[in-house]
Amino acid sequence: MDKTTIICRCEEISYEEVEEVIEHGGRTFDDVKRLTRCGMGPCQAKICTGLVANIIHEHTALPLSEIPLQRMRMPLSPIKLEILATNSTAFSAVKSVLDEVEIEDGKVR
Amino acid sequence: METDVLIIGGGPAGLAAAIETATRGLDVTIVDESSSLGGQLCQQTQLIRPLPSVYQPMRGFELAKVLTEQINDFTVGTLLNHRVIGLYADGSVGLSDEEKVFPVKAKKIVVATGAAEQAVAFPKWTLPGIITIGAAQTLVNRDFVMPGKEAVIVGSSDFALDVASQLLEVGVEVKGIVEKNPAAAAREKEKTDALIGRGIPFYFNSFIKEARGNGQVEEIDIEVNGEILTVSADVVCIDGGRSPILDSFYQLGCSFGYQKELGGWIPQYNRQFKTDRENVFLAGNAAGISQQGALLLTGMIAGISICEDLQTIRSGEAEEIRDALWEELKLSEYKDVWEGRTKHIEKFSSPVLKDQFIS
Ligand SMILES: Cc1cc2nc3c(=O)[nH]c(=O)nc-3n(C[C@H](O)[C@H](O)[C@H](O)COP(=O)(O)OP(=O)(O)OC[C@H]3O[C@@H](n4cnc5c(N)ncnc54)[C@H](O)[C@@H]3O)c2cc1C
Ligand code: FES
Repeated sequence: MDKTTIICRCEEISYEEVEEVIEHGGRTFDDVKRLTRCGMGPCQAKICTGLVANIIHEHTALPLSEIPLQRMRMPLSPIKLEILATNSTAFSAVKSVLDEVEIEDGKVR
Repeated sequence: METDVLIIGGGPAGLAAAIETATRGLDVTIVDESSSLGGQLCQQTQLIRPLPSVYQPMRGFELAKVLTEQINDFTVGTLLNHRVIGLYADGSVGLSDEEKVFPVKAKKIVVATGAAEQAVAFPKWTLPGIITIGAAQTLVNRDFVMPGKEAVIVGSSDFALDVASQLLEVGVEVKGIVEKNPAAAAREKEKTDALIGRGIPFYFNSFIKEARGNGQVEEIDIEVNGEILTVSADVVCIDGGRSPILDSFYQLGCSFGYQKELGGWIPQYNRQFKTDRENVFLAGNAAGISQQGALLLTGMIAGISICEDLQTIRSGEAEEIRDALWEELKLSEYKDVWEGRTKHIEKFSSPVLKDQFIS
């Protein structure tokens, strides 16, 4: 495939950039994501997941069944922080990005 | 908010599960991010067969209406324009309507989130005018908008060929169907023959080399047996196949296995259409890509299994109904899909991916 072909349209990551991660030993979608931002756009990897898995498959001959799913975090689709913070006292227990933030009396500590 | 059964996704599978559970006295809530019930059926105008024996063959949007009417007679709560965004530690599902986020606590959950279309990448595939085959179908059948004047279709599944005919019906010129394999992928040969009969060219062993255009697609290069054919087109419809939507399962902590015939990664589940998480069931394309009749049956099986767990039906009776539905399922889906499903269920207790959050 032409190296300039876009693979992640949200983050404008090219085929070449994905290939480079694989050359450095990347074997999962999350490896590619951590090094390039592939999958971190508004669609939250809904478009690029399959394309990246296929490129890993073609380059490494790993069967698709050995290329694991990417981590699908909360929130499953983009949402304003302000909205995510409604009922925020309940959030101290949410498995989420907000886990990394400590909340006291509904406010970020 | 509390409910007996929370159904995520109000497509045919979710509605089928809602009918089984609501008619047996359970309090049911359906959540869907779109503004109407029916899921992908809403833009399907082709005749659907076979359907489970309780339904006459009908068109997709008619089926959506028939299914929706059946739940209207019961107390089924519908939360439209609401998305599932995550899970609370106590097991409540987090919903958002873009104004607030709130938890729903359910005794049982059915995940029926359907399937997503897969992309096919080639140089300049991100140009406006290059859309998925499903998007073309939605524009024509639901929104009554012509997606363009000259279309090229990439892929030749039954679905792609149905949409090709629908485009022709509304006056879009179909300039060709590009297929990377040596023969059409459609299982129903009549669909290929009908299009060939209307003079639509099929390009086999072919793929799109490049798209070009100023601000929008204007022409594409098709590589046919090593030669380049340039075709003018203002809409290119891509059929890259469909794969199950898994994000809700992932949040719920379900394990996954890989089954090529069912669309790749799918959650582990058993004959009850129950995942390896207590209280989490599944149905429809989210449980493996199949035909609409089969998808309805999976929803019915999940619904019956929930009624059994919540004791609104005797176990023996549930088992009998489930056996009959499984028999019908076997007859309603393609043999390879059925075999993939049977294999997947056999491997229920040996998932490939588990405890994803911890890793
Ligand atoms: C655009 C498109 C067109 C299609 N056309 C055809 C066709 O012509 N012929 C054919 O055989 N098959 C077609 N399919 C395949 C289609 O998936 C099946 O026909 C069938 O509709 C699947 O039923 P389902 O109930 O499993 O899922 P769906 O009908 O997809 O229903 C799932 C529902 O879940 C909702 N949902 C998903 N995630 C969330 C969330 N996080 N929160 C809230 N709600 C959520 C969605 O809004 C949707 O309404 C099409 C698929 C797509 C994507
Ligand atoms: S296409 Fe990669 S995040 Fe959207």
